[in-house]
Amino acid sequence: MVLLQLLVNGIQTGTIYALTAIGFALIFGSTRIFHFAHGAIFVIAAYVFKFVIGDLSLHWGIASIAAVSAAVLAGLLVNFLIYVPIQRHEGSYFTVFVASFGVVIVVQNAIAMIFGRGFVAIETSLSNAVEVFSGLFMAPLFGIVIACSAIVLTGLHLILTRTHFGIALRALSQNPELVRTFGLSTRRLSAYAFVLGSALVVPAAIFTGATSGLNPSIGLHIMLISLVATIAGGIGSIWGAACIALAIGVAENLVLWQLDTQWSEAVAFAFLLVFLIFRPAGLFRLASTH
Amino acid sequence: MSNYFKGIGVSLILGLAAATTAPAQAEEISIGGVFPLSGPNAIYGEIFQSSLRLAEDHIKDDQMLEGGMRILYEDSQALPQQAVLAMNKLVSVNNVPYVMSAFTGPSKAVAPIANRSKTVVVNGGGVGPDLAKLGEYFWNVIPLANTEMRSLLPYMVEEQDYKKFTLVYVDDPLGEGVLEVLQEQLPELGASLVNKYSIPATAQQFGGLAAKIRNDDPDVVFLASYGDQQVQIIKQLRQNGVTARFASYSAFSTPTVQALPEAEGALYATQAIDFEAEDAFTRRFVDDFKAAYGKLPTVYATNYYNAAMVFAMLGKELQSQGKPITGENLLELRRATESFNLVGGSVSFDEKGTLIAPIQIMEVNGSGSKVLKIGKP
Amino acid sequence: MSVYLLNIGVFICIYGILALTLNVLIGYAGVFTLAHAAFFGIGAYVATFVAMNFSASLVIVLIASVLTAGILSLIIALPALRVRDEYFVVISLAIQILCVTVFSEWRSFTGGLGGIVNIPLPELFFGTISTPMEFFLLALGCMAVITVIIGLIVRGSFGRSLMAVRDNESAALALGKNVARIKTLAAALSSGLAAVAGVVYAYYLSFINVQSFTLDTSVLVMAMVIIGGTGTMFGPIVGAALLTMLPNALSYVPFLPPTEIGSIQQILYGLAMILMMIFRPGGIVGRSRSKRDEK
Repeated sequence: MVLLQLLVNGIQTGTIYALTAIGFALIFGSTRIFHFAHGAIFVIAAYVFKFVIGDLSLHWGIASIAAVSAAVLAGLLVNFLIYVPIQRHEGSYFTVFVASFGVVIVVQNAIAMIFGRGFVAIETSLSNAVEVFSGLFMAPLFGIVIACSAIVLTGLHLILTRTHFGIALRALSQNPELVRTFGLSTRRLSAYAFVLGSALVVPAAIFTGATSGLNPSIGLHIMLISLVATIAGGIGSIWGAACIALAIGVAENLVLWQLDTQWSEAVAFAFLLVFLIFRPAGLFRLASTH
Repeated sequence: MSNYFKGIGVSLILGLAAATTAPAQAEEISIGGVFPLSGPNAIYGEIFQSSLRLAEDHIKDDQMLEGGMRILYEDSQALPQQAVLAMNKLVSVNNVPYVMSAFTGPSKAVAPIANRSKTVVVNGGGVGPDLAKLGEYFWNVIPLANTEMRSLLPYMVEEQDYKKFTLVYVDDPLGEGVLEVLQEQLPELGASLVNKYSIPATAQQFGGLAAKIRNDDPDVVFLASYGDQQVQIIKQLRQNGVTARFASYSAFSTPTVQALPEAEGALYATQAIDFEAEDAFTRRFVDDFKAAYGKLPTVYATNYYNAAMVFAMLGKELQSQGKPITGENLLELRRATESFNLVGGSVSFDEKGTLIAPIQIMEVNGSGSKVLKIGKP
Repeated sequence: MSVYLLNIGVFICIYGILALTLNVLIGYAGVFTLAHAAFFGIGAYVATFVAMNFSASLVIVLIASVLTAGILSLIIALPALRVRDEYFVVISLAIQILCVTVFSEWRSFTGGLGGIVNIPLPELFFGTISTPMEFFLLALGCMAVITVIIGLIVRGSFGRSLMAVRDNESAALALGKNVARIKTLAAALSSGLAAVAGVVYAYYLSFINVQSFTLDTSVLVMAMVIIGGTGTMFGPIVGAALLTMLPNALSYVPFLPPTEIGSIQQILYGLAMILMMIFRPGGIVGRSRSKRDEK
């Protein structure tokens, strides 16, 4: 019974991880920019939501809109103020990565100075678990997380397969030269990728705030999971990233069955190390000319 | 480009300027305070500083020390590494003879420096049992966990008839100390430690832990944690269906736990301090504290006030004997002193430098706590 | 006051060693790693173990630490360096996190979160090192020796092979260079010498615990290398000096609350990293962008 509970917990954690990872997978897949600052966008969205709903006591709808706006704005700023200038003259992955990392550090500490370094949670009665049947407790929040992810993933799938914009993004991730030949602006498409990817981070940020709580350094932890998921899932494959992220969430919780909590994070990464060394192209390999 | 050199230049100049300014005030005596001033345990630093402010004022008003006394605070973030760096600075740069410390881990880390440099370190908040064994320069003005448990556990096992205990503990020196105490004392009383769960100090998510504890079905969940984390543990365990009674060492006395609805009914032990005592010393502290902060002081706040007062009393005596205020002299004089009149009454140190005091058992009742029972020291 | 300066000096040298050795990987081999603090830690823990259980002799401890760190790095790098560069960053991150977990949990060897206290003083044939001045000379000496070692290697044929791999891996492969072996050797060298910093650190503070060896430290050292200048000999030292003195300089700025100095310091070097990458990727000591383009 403990195992079942841990599995259910794992699915909830994994779903939230998946929501975060697909945002990064989309951006990295389309633009090949090592957008480590994705974690910073997550933190910004989460704290903005907490601030609007907690300190300003406004309705969660308003808080969500505020969070999405903040995330998209932050994503665009990072793209235009930092990535674009760097790519103009050099753009080696190293330079971009370092600058991106710098953004994470600045944001993490700025948030720590404004909101404090301690732990912060979004209070809601939705996280009160109810005994569904003997030994299994589930909170209404679980249902909301699952429903929301289903909507987001379906929506994303539709965008990427049915709209011109979505198809262009997929083309960009497979063959940017060809996209340019067809007269589309890769620069503009990349910007749209950032908009969509950053917006995708918001539901995960809100759910994390309501379930395990926030602290300023959560950006790095989130980034890790997204990176692992994107790479192990296969660059360019959003479903791959989602699957691996879900698997990591489940593994982190199942590990608790035998080991103490200290090991859950490490185990998820040991899992990655093995995967990467034996199947480096990832779960779903996608051909690309990058 | 030139901006970078300007930047370097400015920092070099600032550094050199700092280096060449001699430390001020030859006359004023400084003592140190190494506390968590930031991070998840900053609430404790605030508590300690609130009463130390009063101590500084009272020492000045009574003119206990010639030249006056000042407390230099350093931020330990309740972490051993930062505490060591802070202690090194206080000892080598500020030359303080007396440092107040908090938290078991950081205290254990600075104790060797205390003994090596002959600086007195006083703990008023950590309760790990190892703190009694840290050398002659390490003093405790708070009873440690083994003493607290020796009153709390019999009450729980014999009077409340709880037999099955589960422990959730941070895997640092404090948590390990509490684990040892429970493993030693519970079997003697005929109760048992059904399970123990070690958690990282930074953990915030306890859903999985709740599942495993529900499986154990204990009478009591004993917590050895602090700050923000213990609040989260209590809340999340209750939200996920754990109905057992909560118990802990004195950490539950913090305002955040006292005000937490999910903590209602939680039991804990602390030093018994009679805030109603009639002597002028106690009354001044309690009344001034209430006037400044609008509430009664807690045990932790009182301990650090007492720690500062112990220094002032010893220092005053040393000055009247014409001796310099050094760690060595402070230690010698403390050993020669029978008892000290501190807040709550007259107390004395045992030969290892730990205060002997009675223990009281408290229960959180949603708006503070009520005292259930007072034990003998 | 001089104790204060010597103290800063020792830390500048310790971080200088870390920055110099990290530069071998990032600046010369073009391998980006976030696991440097883990090897700093391995060096410190091995040094402590040997000093407390066998002999506090500096020479013995140094040999033990450098060898352990180098060999461990070799074992990890062999399989890990076969993957693409971007993936290696993630692997190094995973290694760093795993090491921190091991440091926190392997209580019998590392003391866990409580750490290890009462580390004895280092012994040399002519006596023990105990005063701040003696420690400063020790640290300075170590840094000088390591600078010379790295300088010799970089100017030699191995160094040229390293830079060839950094600048164009496929071309190097085409020219018959065993890229994997070169990168692995560079990693072993870098990590082994980083352990020296760990030895000095453990002896100097007489106390170590896992907090000094976390990801934050890896990032700090990376910032030192990048801000000072990758691929240059003195860049890392400049970076180390600047970033070590920064919190001290900040504590004298009157309106900054002391509890926020840590955050402000990190914001400053985060910003420095961003601005450097946009305007001067070569760092302070490196060639300016216009000169690099002319190449």
